[in-house]
Amino acid sequence: MGFAAWPLRDQVGAVIPAGSSRRIVTLAPDVTELVFALGAGRHLVAVAPFSDFPPAAAALPRVAVSDPEAIVAARPDLVLASTAGNDPAVVTALRRVGVRVATVDVTSCARLAEACLLLGQLVAAAETGQRLAADITSHCDAARRRAADLPRRTALYVAWWDPLMVAGPGTVHHDLLALAGLDNRAPARGGRYPRVDPEVLLDPALQVLVAPADPDSRPLVDALLRRPAGLRLRRGTLPLIWLPADPASRPGPRLLLALDVLLAAREAAP
Amino acid sequence: MSTQGRDLALAGFVAAALLSGLVAGGPALAPAEAMATLLGGGTPEAATIVFSLRLPRVLLAAGVGAALALAGAALQSLLANPLADPFLLGVSGGGAAAATAAYAVLPASLLGVVPAAAMAGAAGATAAVWWMARGPFGTSSTRLILAGVAANAFTSAMILAILATAPSPRLPGALAITMGSFAGASSSAVAWLAPYLAVPMAVLAYHARDLGLLALGEESAAALGVEPAAVRRRVFLAAAALSGGAVAFAGVIGFVGLATPHLCRLLWGNDVRRLLPRVALAGAGLTVLGDLVARRLLSPVELPVGVVTALLGVPFFVALLRRAP
Repeated sequence: MGFAAWPLRDQVGAVIPAGSSRRIVTLAPDVTELVFALGAGRHLVAVAPFSDFPPAAAALPRVAVSDPEAIVAARPDLVLASTAGNDPAVVTALRRVGVRVATVDVTSCARLAEACLLLGQLVAAAETGQRLAADITSHCDAARRRAADLPRRTALYVAWWDPLMVAGPGTVHHDLLALAGLDNRAPARGGRYPRVDPEVLLDPALQVLVAPADPDSRPLVDALLRRPAGLRLRRGTLPLIWLPADPASRPGPRLLLALDVLLAAREAAP
Repeated sequence: MSTQGRDLALAGFVAAALLSGLVAGGPALAPAEAMATLLGGGTPEAATIVFSLRLPRVLLAAGVGAALALAGAALQSLLANPLADPFLLGVSGGGAAAATAAYAVLPASLLGVVPAAAMAGAAGATAAVWWMARGPFGTSSTRLILAGVAANAFTSAMILAILATAPSPRLPGALAITMGSFAGASSSAVAWLAPYLAVPMAVLAYHARDLGLLALGEESAAALGVEPAAVRRRVFLAAAALSGGAVAFAGVIGFVGLATPHLCRLLWGNDVRRLLPRVALAGAGLTVLGDLVARRLLSPVELPVGVVTALLGVPFFVALLRRAP
């Protein structure tokens, strides 16, 4: 993992010109967490709404992530966006007016490690970025070894319950399942998070459900339990593993925490 | 083909659509196993899938399809306008706007009230359209259409504003309302919808003759004992109730209300009394078939049923139109 030469390319292939990174704006909470993990939180001048981790992030000014004018008004010398939720048109608009923008595209733990390397270079914390990337890589390798001792199971990662939407291949959640020894049964078509027929929950070939425990999900699952599609969940023949909501939903450094919870749950009931 | 033959073909089409929905309606059960379950065999799990999941879904789709098609037929006859359908009058839009707003802002524990919000929105839009359409000489067809177009434009803009500002986790669900879905079907939804739809359907059946006479002109109809103002009000309210119910339980499903009456007119002629029951059956069959395709085309990915009904129905509709004299 050596130092890349300027100009760098971000994770969607766009060129990032060299420049200072003393006034950083983030457009996604997971990117805010990455900047803090790199020790560059003091350079953040505005952050995306819902950036509440670490606690210091909650005190920072918010910026409307879909409003290029508001972002430019924060006078950033670097804007950090994510493919998980940011509008590419906003990124294009920012570039057009000369703002340096880097986009991360975290679709797996390996890509998360790459994002750490990239952002480390960008925020003048290359060594921290390398260390973080190495930690993530070794953590994921250890997870793979733990999962190798577990029986393989088929699973779905439920991103939303009504309508039923699951994580498909090419998402960080697909990778999360794979690292925990679970074979994702989501279809490869229909986008990254396809909407699927609720009847899949009654398919005996499906063995495990995994979902983030965000506050919205619990009432929706309660409603599902009262419906025929929730029969296997109600009877306990389809185990549901809840993951901590923000670490699981935000493809940032806390993803490893979600991975640990998933593995622990699998080891407790293999 | 004789009228009797067409009737038999329609009955066969509806029966085939319903059976297909039960046998091949989802990804969790092979058609042969589903058929065995229908015939009394199968595992308890298979019985749950067929009778508790697929049957309510098929019945809901049939009820909603019949309601939309009937509303479209009634409005086209009432307003003497071939473009009239539940959407033209803004009623569906009012229901959809209220449902998307409720879905976007309510806490998850209260999302069960979304159908009630849709009904309230449809009722509000109905009242607003009726109020806008009232002029010094009462309510004319032209005024109703213009008021409906205005209401539709307003509610469409509201829906877009809601979608543009909805919190991102809620966006897929709010969007699903605007494109139609029977994924939330349940026996309780069917139990609510069936008696609810029965009343406006009975009103339309009662006024079917009056609608036919109104097509001759208001003066001629009045001379034959029809009260044009009363009929217009009751038929409009019945069509609005049917549209509101459909949106409440399935979201916005286009094309069925517009095209089914035309398809049936091409096959059975313009007599409203003969047309209405056939329109209801055809709307039911087409919607069940549309939902089946929505579920199976990219299974287990589920397509919006409103998109499928339009994609499937338009070529068929155009083909029939080209063959018509």
